[in-house]
Amino acid sequence: MSAGTLPVVLRVPRADRVEALRYFARRNPRMILGGALVFIWLFLAAFAPLVAPYDPIKVNVADSLLPPSGAHFLGTDDLGRDVLSRVIWGSRVSLSVGVISVSIGFLLGVSLGLAAGYLGGTFDLLVMRGIDALLAFPALVLAIAITAALGPQIQNAMIAIGIVAIPAYARLTRGQALSLRERDFIVAARTVGARPIRIVLRHIFPNLANALIVQATLSTAFAILAEAALSFLGLGPQPPYPSWGQDINYSQRYLPNLKWWMSVGPGVAIFTAVFAFNFLGDALRDALDPRLRRTG
Amino acid sequence: MTRYILRRLLLMLPVAFLVTIGVFVLVRLSPADPALVFAGEERDPATIAAIRAELGLDQPLPLQYVAWLTRLGQGDLGRSFMTHQRVLEAITERLPATLELGAAALLFSVSIALSVGILSAIKRNSFVDLAATGVTLAGVSFPSFFLGILLILLFAYVIPGRIFPPGGYIAPGQDLGDNLRRLVLPAVTLATGSLAVNLRQVRSSLLDVFGHDYMRTARAKGLRERTVIARHALKNALIPVVTLIGIQIGAIIEGAFITESIFFWPGIGRLAVQAIPSGDYPVVQGVVLVSAFSFMFTTLIVDLLYAWLDPRISFETARV
Repeated sequence: MSAGTLPVVLRVPRADRVEALRYFARRNPRMILGGALVFIWLFLAAFAPLVAPYDPIKVNVADSLLPPSGAHFLGTDDLGRDVLSRVIWGSRVSLSVGVISVSIGFLLGVSLGLAAGYLGGTFDLLVMRGIDALLAFPALVLAIAITAALGPQIQNAMIAIGIVAIPAYARLTRGQALSLRERDFIVAARTVGARPIRIVLRHIFPNLANALIVQATLSTAFAILAEAALSFLGLGPQPPYPSWGQDINYSQRYLPNLKWWMSVGPGVAIFTAVFAFNFLGDALRDALDPRLRRTG
Repeated sequence: MTRYILRRLLLMLPVAFLVTIGVFVLVRLSPADPALVFAGEERDPATIAAIRAELGLDQPLPLQYVAWLTRLGQGDLGRSFMTHQRVLEAITERLPATLELGAAALLFSVSIALSVGILSAIKRNSFVDLAATGVTLAGVSFPSFFLGILLILLFAYVIPGRIFPPGGYIAPGQDLGDNLRRLVLPAVTLATGSLAVNLRQVRSSLLDVFGHDYMRTARAKGLRERTVIARHALKNALIPVVTLIGIQIGAIIEGAFITESIFFWPGIGRLAVQAIPSGDYPVVQGVVLVSAFSFMFTTLIVDLLYAWLDPRISFETARV
């Protein structure tokens, strides 16, 4: 090939970073909205002691059952505790359960899925029957049963929700590992003598990252909702520590007196936090994993 | 088909076996000593030892499991530690209330999802479509217990005349009108989560079908739009919806635990939730087992229905 026929590479001007960000925001409004909401909740959880206007557990009977006002944006409960402060502190419980339980599910599910998909054979058969058994339980029923057995504590709620999350990761990872196993670059790696652990970690796992990020975001939404449900049933953190689900349960007794603010604060908090992760997860799925994109 | 059903049933056996092991181990994980719970106020070591022997708790775990499984095979789920009632009896007493609530929720969810989903797919980007999309987005993130509380607040306390009572149950045989009136709020609460998922599925699978050639052919041969949608679009679009309804049954079983607790609905979910704080494990174990087996069987039935509805799915090659 002579020098004259070489393809001409045009110099691409470096895109203006701000302009690129604007373009991204215009194209992905859901990711921006979901991401912003997630960021707000993470910020509130991290800086709860600085952001919350009052002590969430300090009883102040003189201020009990006050409706929302300038002093108490979301009102106070029957013990005079500020509902907004309890909602802000409650985010620590919800988000930490979300993050830790998803990490448990992720670690166990992905390891089992990778091993089952790559090794195949009897190991695959055994693992997948175990996963089928986990899937035989309705998710929340299993979480309730595990927490009930281990005792109503926040750590046990994390373990329970983490175990419930395992099948989704295991199935996703195994399916992908099975199809990747036969691809040329894996066969090439095997041919040059790479050990299985290296193939799995360096060649298969990175190809799964996008799908796993989407799954992790969506399962955080589930974990927050599940934690709220467990707390609502009295299986989460115990009083007086603030927790959204438990606070809603407690507020039930004041419904006939129309003290609606005691339920609305934590209820809206659960909704916005779950919505944020679901919304972000959906947007990430469209952006990162076109194969999973839904029609319509 | 018979071979396919048999093969599915056969494959279900190891899973069912693992489920029983799981439920058995779960209860044994508990830090509380069942003998102490069973004994109640009694603290005499000799009595507790006798109770332990009676419950078989002095045996090694594998033997305990085999004994438990044998009794399970005979329909014996043990006795409640608190009320000493047979667990199977406690469950069957409360099952009709749970089934009534579940059926009402499923009916509500499916009928609204179908009607609004079809409308929103036909009139894409209309007001109905936007509203339906909004409900779908919000519905999957809305905690059912918060919705239940808002509904109670609104219909039982804020709107005068108490259109719907805040909770409680009257058997249909006793007063059908009152039974139905009390059913509305819990059924709507239980249905909302699955309604959102079903609505999204009906809409998206209809939109998917609209793009196919046979739809254009149907229109080109001069069929009325209504016929095109009813006979050609819906028939194909509803196949994935059937599977989804099967999955929703799981959501309805787990939702019953929460919804029944909010509305004082005397079903099996509330039975289990009430048994948890007192450490009444046989009851929790029984309800969890019944929930898991009902879920497994509905999944099986839905799979069979799916294969029957869609002839392209071969019974021989279908992945199980």
